[in-house]
Amino acid sequence: MRLAVALTVLGSALGLGGASPLDRLQPAQHGFGLQDALAFTEFPLFDAGERVDGLPLTAVLRRDDTADFVSFVYGDCTAADDAGCPPPLEIQVWPACLRNLHLYDSANAEAPVPEPTIVRGVPGAFFEDGLRLELQASRSTIVVFGNSRERVLRAAGALREVGTPAPGTRLPAPVPGAVDGALSC
Amino acid sequence: MVAATLAMTLAAPATAHFDSSARYTHSDCRATPENRVDPINVVFTSWGTWGRAANQIEAHAGWTDTSGSAQTFVDHGACYAMHAQRASGAGTRFHIRVRGQHPDDVLGWTATGDAHHEDLVMFPVPCGHAVDSDGAQGSGFDQGRDELERRFAAAGHTTSRAWWGNTHSFKQCDGDYASSDGWTVFIELHQVNH
Repeated sequence: MRLAVALTVLGSALGLGGASPLDRLQPAQHGFGLQDALAFTEFPLFDAGERVDGLPLTAVLRRDDTADFVSFVYGDCTAADDAGCPPPLEIQVWPACLRNLHLYDSANAEAPVPEPTIVRGVPGAFFEDGLRLELQASRSTIVVFGNSRERVLRAAGALREVGTPAPGTRLPAPVPGAVDGALSC
Repeated sequence: MVAATLAMTLAAPATAHFDSSARYTHSDCRATPENRVDPINVVFTSWGTWGRAANQIEAHAGWTDTSGSAQTFVDHGACYAMHAQRASGAGTRFHIRVRGQHPDDVLGWTATGDAHHEDLVMFPVPCGHAVDSDGAQGSGFDQGRDELERRFAAAGHTTSRAWWGNTHSFKQCDGDYASSDGWTVFIELHQVNH
């Protein structure tokens, strides 16, 4: 079940001025929020902190059904009747056993064609003309969606393990079997 | 529509290929990253013209309602209006928009679509149709795709799935988010079936 998120952080709830970027986090709708992401242990999570590229963290989402990921949404958009909208930046973190670069090795001619790259020392690939970047780190696959290749790369530069204060130079290398789809869930 | 369908079905596909690089619908042309609306999650192949797709959606799924907002599709880098839409009703419903795409040497005539299940949201703030956020059966996008896959398979059509990874989340008018699980179903409309 996808669990939409997050927290209206205490500062806002208590009327303390709303100075924190986390004030914009949407109220938890299905019981999964930032605190749940911090306590999450099923696979390593990565986000870009409270703000990246001028965009505040606005929602934390969880899918655990036909898909399995935790998502960090940055910025906002205006949806309408019969017309959803894409947030300007989203970082989804999937278990590498379920989503990995091996999926694109398929002989299926209709599979997306990856544009291989290395970002912060880990293997990855761009898709959708650079609007989507998939990176493999540790036991996770980090999927960055943005409205420009430049924004996607800036977000990748800010990736850090959730709860840690600042990004290091390199992301943790993928564990054996992560890239070639050999991990079992 | 009948004439257009007939013209398309009588013409032989040109030597070309199906463009699977565009994986979302858009609210308008010019298509931009900001006006993406829905993930594309259904491809009709093997004489999958848009007219045959619309007719068979009606026949197999019973989605005969034609109401809904217009969206656009991208094919080989160019943006085009959709060709048709079908829904199971006007309120809470299954819904799909369809656009005939470039023919393919292997797949034949093709059409793509954005199947989904959406609620008519009236409370707490009336906002209209919103694709279901993710639940036990997957998101509204996954539910719409799965429903069409079941209905066409039950009618004898061959179906298969391909991983596209187009899982970008979309905020809906009720404030929830919905995303595809990344799998697209290919449904053959070969004339051997009908």
